[in-house]
Amino acid sequence: MIFLDKLKTIFEGKFGDILSNNKFSLFHFSKNVNEPLEVKNENTLKIDLTKLNEEEKELFKKEIRNITIQKEGDAFLINKTIRKTQKIKKNLPKDADELLLKFYRNKISPEMYKALEASLIVRNAFINNEDITELKKDIRNKYPTFGNNLCNLTTRNYFDDHFKELYLKMLEEEDFNIRVYQKKIEYIVKSLPYIAFIAKDKTYDELSGEVMFKLAKLKMYGTGKLILHGLGKGNVETTLKILEEYRNDKDTCIDIEINPKRTIITATLMF
Amino acid sequence: MEISNLTFDDESKKEVLDLFEKTIDQEGFIVEKEDMTQRVLTTKGEEILFEEWGGVVKGSESFIKSDTFSLIELAKKLN
Repeated sequence: MIFLDKLKTIFEGKFGDILSNNKFSLFHFSKNVNEPLEVKNENTLKIDLTKLNEEEKELFKKEIRNITIQKEGDAFLINKTIRKTQKIKKNLPKDADELLLKFYRNKISPEMYKALEASLIVRNAFINNEDITELKKDIRNKYPTFGNNLCNLTTRNYFDDHFKELYLKMLEEEDFNIRVYQKKIEYIVKSLPYIAFIAKDKTYDELSGEVMFKLAKLKMYGTGKLILHGLGKGNVETTLKILEEYRNDKDTCIDIEINPKRTIITATLMF
Repeated sequence: MEISNLTFDDESKKEVLDLFEKTIDQEGFIVEKEDMTQRVLTTKGEEILFEEWGGVVKGSESFIKSDTFSLIELAKKLN
């Protein structure tokens, strides 16, 4: 190990016993020792930079720069960054996730694509029972308007099926434009707290009840709108049937958008 | 690319910055020690707050952030 040899030169004679031990494979810098060098767990050499004399410090500075700059390809990282990097590497998108990313490349905005990639890592970490708090916080911080919602939708597999299906349905339209698809995705992701997805996996009564519950909750918070979104002819009809329940409600305005083939519906209840 | 056997603790970040002739300005950004008006940038041209600094990638002495997006790029390059 080059750096160990350099250390031997720097601390020659002074700490020979420690440096002659070739078990050292990891170096820590720490303020928690009285001497500049200390062995920890038999394989970790801790070096306290504040305890070095000026000559040692200068030599150390020179060597560390030489090694970090000249030796191509290594990452010199803070310990907690190493742990985070290793967690990310372990959960990087593979196989089905890679295919998913390939599908969305150039279909959604670059920002949403990056957030999707990170969200897939969060989903994998979640499946592996790992702590996802920091990863999710980073997505939320980088994309405050949609990061958290996109992450939640990814975890609930909406990018695996619903948004793919939306693309395929929109693609059937003669005047299909990818920008319209992008905007639709953005609209849905950003509006997640005000959206009810109408899907076949729930009964009519369940869906109707969910809409009623969300409406009551949103009215309480003074939000003013609830969006119903459905894909496929059956779900379009179900959505229309649910909307009928509010047709005579004087406090609610309904705006309905259906594609010509009647396979995509986005309806907004404003109250 | 591999993670170096040489690592450092959070508590020693300031000393390590000093080894690279860098320091921190009043707003908390990493800057060149010799010219404190010159902020250190990532390869993407982003300024780096001391608290979000993750380390140095060898080869070009490029400083990297510790956020998930920066580390995804790093993780993809690791063996």
